[in-house]
Amino acid sequence: MIEILQHGIYTSIQDMGRFNHQCIGVPLSGALDQQAFRIGNQLLNNPDKAAALECTVKGPKIRFHQNTYIALTGADMRAQLNGRRVSSYTPIEVHENDELELGKAQNGCRTYLTIAGGIKTEKILGSRSQFKGLTREERISKKILLPIGHSDFKPVKGVHLRIPKTAFHKKTIEVYPGPEYPLLDKIQQKALAKNKFSISKLNNRMAYQLNQKLQHQLPQIWTAPVLPGTVQCTPDGSLIILMQDAQVTGGYPRLFQLTDEALHLLAQKQTDDEVQFSILPSVE
Amino acid sequence: MITIHSNFRVIALLPKVLLLEWEEQPSEKLLEFLLSYKAVIEKQIKVTRCVMGYQSLMVHLLEDIEKLDWWKQHLNKLLIKTKKQKQRKGKHWNIPVCYDLDHAPDLATLANAVQKSVEEVIALHTQKPYRIYFLGFLPGFLYLCGLDKQLHFPRKEKPLLEVPKGSIGIGGMQTGIYPNSSPGGWHLIGRTPLSLFDAKLQPPCFAAPGDWISFKSIDSKTFEIIDKQSNQGTYQIKPYD
Repeated sequence: MIEILQHGIYTSIQDMGRFNHQCIGVPLSGALDQQAFRIGNQLLNNPDKAAALECTVKGPKIRFHQNTYIALTGADMRAQLNGRRVSSYTPIEVHENDELELGKAQNGCRTYLTIAGGIKTEKILGSRSQFKGLTREERISKKILLPIGHSDFKPVKGVHLRIPKTAFHKKTIEVYPGPEYPLLDKIQQKALAKNKFSISKLNNRMAYQLNQKLQHQLPQIWTAPVLPGTVQCTPDGSLIILMQDAQVTGGYPRLFQLTDEALHLLAQKQTDDEVQFSILPSVE
Repeated sequence: MITIHSNFRVIALLPKVLLLEWEEQPSEKLLEFLLSYKAVIEKQIKVTRCVMGYQSLMVHLLEDIEKLDWWKQHLNKLLIKTKKQKQRKGKHWNIPVCYDLDHAPDLATLANAVQKSVEEVIALHTQKPYRIYFLGFLPGFLYLCGLDKQLHFPRKEKPLLEVPKGSIGIGGMQTGIYPNSSPGGWHLIGRTPLSLFDAKLQPPCFAAPGDWISFKSIDSKTFEIIDKQSNQGTYQIKPYD
């Protein structure tokens, strides 16, 4: 078991998400930076889908009720174990009654705390990812004990994994043209490729809205399936990038679709961070 | 027999995601074709999932697309198979709705705005079955078609932050049921005690695209009884043909 003593700004249990229930309106959910999450599990020899804590902007304070191993990936939150700094992207041995405290993100936005054996809370529709109306709690909002799975993990000395770390400073977000992109004129298309955009305050697990608008005359569309990484354009020109907790259908014109890598990078951006679209040719 | 709608475009949205979009307006004919075509695609192509909209199908492949032209041809071939597909018979569901003012905060305002009496609005809302086109917005939210033109009314300017679970709303040309409490901009004209979505049940949602639902007016006493049964899990909704 681990005990959450302080929950930080926004901490939730996440795994790979729910895959097979979009047809009944269930969002995908799951870790926003799937790459950092996956590496966290790999470092501990966990199954890919083992659930972890996703910590946002400022992390939680945790007490361990058993000996185990953990790993921290994604943003650097200056983690301290019993008051001493510990490194990210490597297995960390912890003992019963140890306390781990995560501070503010120094780079990026989200840190993943993986635990050998994974977090074993309730599984709803194939996933432990917290979501309003599905799991009992939509995030961790109070002192709580979380059960941990069994693991025989022992780090092998001398083995170094080659780890792809997120380039937090990178601003380029690679996108494919969306269904309504060809309806924009050349000037609008150029503006989207050339201009820099900044992340508005309206950014969360459902969507990231951008501060700059795009003047357009795009028609409304009939409600259609959308995905995490779909860039929608509202009638007033706001650009909204959907994230893992987004609705499964949407009725706004779709300008772009982010690549998986771009989506992971975006998940590490905070309010006022800048991004620039790099438009890839469509698959032909 | 299924009518084939062969006029669609195919977009590669991601290396493993195809989006098929029809230009024609949504209709029951197109819906029935999409349901059959989706069934053929799920049988003939290795897909992880296939999601529907009013006039689109999103196909998640197991492998990379590589050559889009090959897929266009392949999808055309599958149209022929769709022709032979047996049409799935949709089920009919009766949804009990209490239109009493306690459960219908916006009914009087809406009736006034469309120049009808409350009774006329209820009669128009309950008279015909609605077709389920697909699910989205929230777990268990049904996109329904068939709202009487006389009840079309624009959404609220300011959405409500918390619409109670089970509320029946009208927004624009649509009517629908909020399967869970959520923010919402529709005018609330009634409430059902039924649960439209329960993750513990298999399937979590009894209704499916292609089915019909009808709203049946109940009094507040019946609402309380069904609400109690629904919470205890003893209320069972049964379809009829």
